[in-house]
Amino acid sequence: MDKELIIRGVRRASMGRFLLWLVPWAALLAFGVYAAGLCLYKGLGETNMDNRFAFGLWIFLDLSVIALGAGAFFTGFLFYILKKKELKAVINSAVVIGFVCYSGAVVVLAVDVGQPLRAWFTFWHPNVHSMLTEVTFCITCYLGVLAVEYVPILLKNRKLREVPRFLVFEWELHRLMYVLAAVGTFLSFFHQGSLGGLYGVLQGRPFAFREGFALWPSTFFLFILSAMAVGPSFMVLTTSLVQKITRKALVKPEVMQEMGRISGILLIVYVLAKTVDTLVWINSTSPSLGFPAHRFYASGPFGTWILFAEIVLFGLVPALILLSRDRRARMPWLISAASLACCGIVLNRFVMTIQTQAVPSLPFLPFVTYTPNWQEVGTFLAVVAYGVLVYSISFRYLPLFPQEKDLAR
Amino acid sequence: MLPNVYGFQWSAGHLIFLGAFFVVGTIIAITLAMALVRSLRDKGHKVETIRWKSEFGDLPERDRACRHQFDGRLPGRVCGNGFDCRLCAKHAEIAPGTAAAEPKERYHHRGHTWAQPQPDGTVLVGLDDLATSLTGTPERLDLPAPGTRVQVNGTAWRMERNGASARVLSPVDGKVVETGDSGRGWYLKIRPDNVDFRHLLRGREARAWLQREMDRMGALLPAPAVVGPTMADGGELVEDAAKAMPEADWDAVWGGLFLQP
Repeated sequence: MDKELIIRGVRRASMGRFLLWLVPWAALLAFGVYAAGLCLYKGLGETNMDNRFAFGLWIFLDLSVIALGAGAFFTGFLFYILKKKELKAVINSAVVIGFVCYSGAVVVLAVDVGQPLRAWFTFWHPNVHSMLTEVTFCITCYLGVLAVEYVPILLKNRKLREVPRFLVFEWELHRLMYVLAAVGTFLSFFHQGSLGGLYGVLQGRPFAFREGFALWPSTFFLFILSAMAVGPSFMVLTTSLVQKITRKALVKPEVMQEMGRISGILLIVYVLAKTVDTLVWINSTSPSLGFPAHRFYASGPFGTWILFAEIVLFGLVPALILLSRDRRARMPWLISAASLACCGIVLNRFVMTIQTQAVPSLPFLPFVTYTPNWQEVGTFLAVVAYGVLVYSISFRYLPLFPQEKDLAR
Repeated sequence: MLPNVYGFQWSAGHLIFLGAFFVVGTIIAITLAMALVRSLRDKGHKVETIRWKSEFGDLPERDRACRHQFDGRLPGRVCGNGFDCRLCAKHAEIAPGTAAAEPKERYHHRGHTWAQPQPDGTVLVGLDDLATSLTGTPERLDLPAPGTRVQVNGTAWRMERNGASARVLSPVDGKVVETGDSGRGWYLKIRPDNVDFRHLLRGREARAWLQREMDRMGALLPAPAVVGPTMADGGELVEDAAKAMPEADWDAVWGGLFLQP
């Protein structure tokens, strides 16, 4: 039965080995569900967050996975709208990764916000002046788009495509996919931006506050740009990871290099914009709010090294590697640069979420510390386990990498 | 969210934000509904066409090689017409003419069937030597009943053996008038809608293609030492390769042979 569900001509592990791979992740998921259940049942008192540190590990995770999951919308945009046909090799994988990232983020948000039975209040009585409302609407809509984009991939399963009605529906839906790709790009543009804007408008927190254009602070644009830059790098990273784990060639090296090139171009633009933004903040924005910027790096573990790491080590260095044709042609360099770029965006989201709350917002306030407890970590790990499970099952039964069969010969 | 709901205001902020949200929601709903309506409207007529288009698109690039790669006229070219050369402007340019079918000549389809016109206007359809060798005698044969319509690249019949199954593609459009079996050397007798066989291969072109197909199939079979004498070196085909090589992944071989991803 299992064999009949697997695509013809590709090799997959035996059912026993596959189950053995799934079991630890399923156990981790069960543990995380228990931890999340406790938080939902007993409230946020179960976590180490408090009124001073209201955004913790979960929001950091949300921002990170949403940024990394941008590979889905950006690859879709490049493939369906800009017609970069070579990305057909990774578009299905990008959709599944995007779906996993966004659905995981929405679940964690639901635990964080609490009272899931009243979740509909957000939509029925929206506060349209809040960046968070825009984020909620866009993420929910985009998750819907990703779910619809996932359907044709699901219906490409060998057994399901034997059902004529499914076959026709998949075909017709696929023909309209460019519409969904365009909608997904529009939504992603705004929610990535609003997540950045959310911090940029915090006038009471000079560490995060930024000036910008019209309604939007500079962080609005930086978040969009960074997500677009790192999305393809994350695709390179996940694809190479899957290749390593399964010991199979799944995508032609030229496709990986092309994604690296796109990532490199956008990353260098982002690094330049981020540098200008940081210089404006150091020399103008922060002092005008009564805080010389160096004071934010004077206490706690977050010294100026973090700024260097974010812009140079995880920004400029991978961008230069990815822009060099010779370097990105070598897989170890390409994967290292993609990893650095992904670390960079995760560090950026960490700085915006955690460091923003840790550093003092008034001269007499202390540096605040926060360490997530096991309930928070458990919920975090559940999302990782959920992602691995969904992706593993999809990889086994769905055509995520169309070039796999060709490369296997 | 809506007028008269608590919190709603007739302000620019509300109208722009909620308007954009409703537009996006409507687009997603309309897209889904359109796909659903189109698929429900189709009463099964388009299934075979869609199946072939979908499967052809999923074939590896090297399996979609243009026929003019075989004669060296268009090296590296990939077919974009689902192997239906009747629709191809490039083919018309290279090989002009109608190429009406000649009686008793075998015309080869890329899915390893042949069509042989008969003096009475019908066409016999069977499997070529490579497919016959690789399929042997099927355990189960699902032939269409006389009167059934078949179409080019649509399903002609189904076969199963040793857990491998495949749909064999029809080389011609027409109506089935009689069924045969592997013992008779042909499987279907079809009254064709037309005798335009431009999409099929014959003569030297067919032989070049078949040689290439032997190499392609050889790559799917295990242990070159076993396969070598029978396939890639152009040696004799064994009568029943499935019997000779039970360890092969016959599901994959049949998929490659009959162009099913």
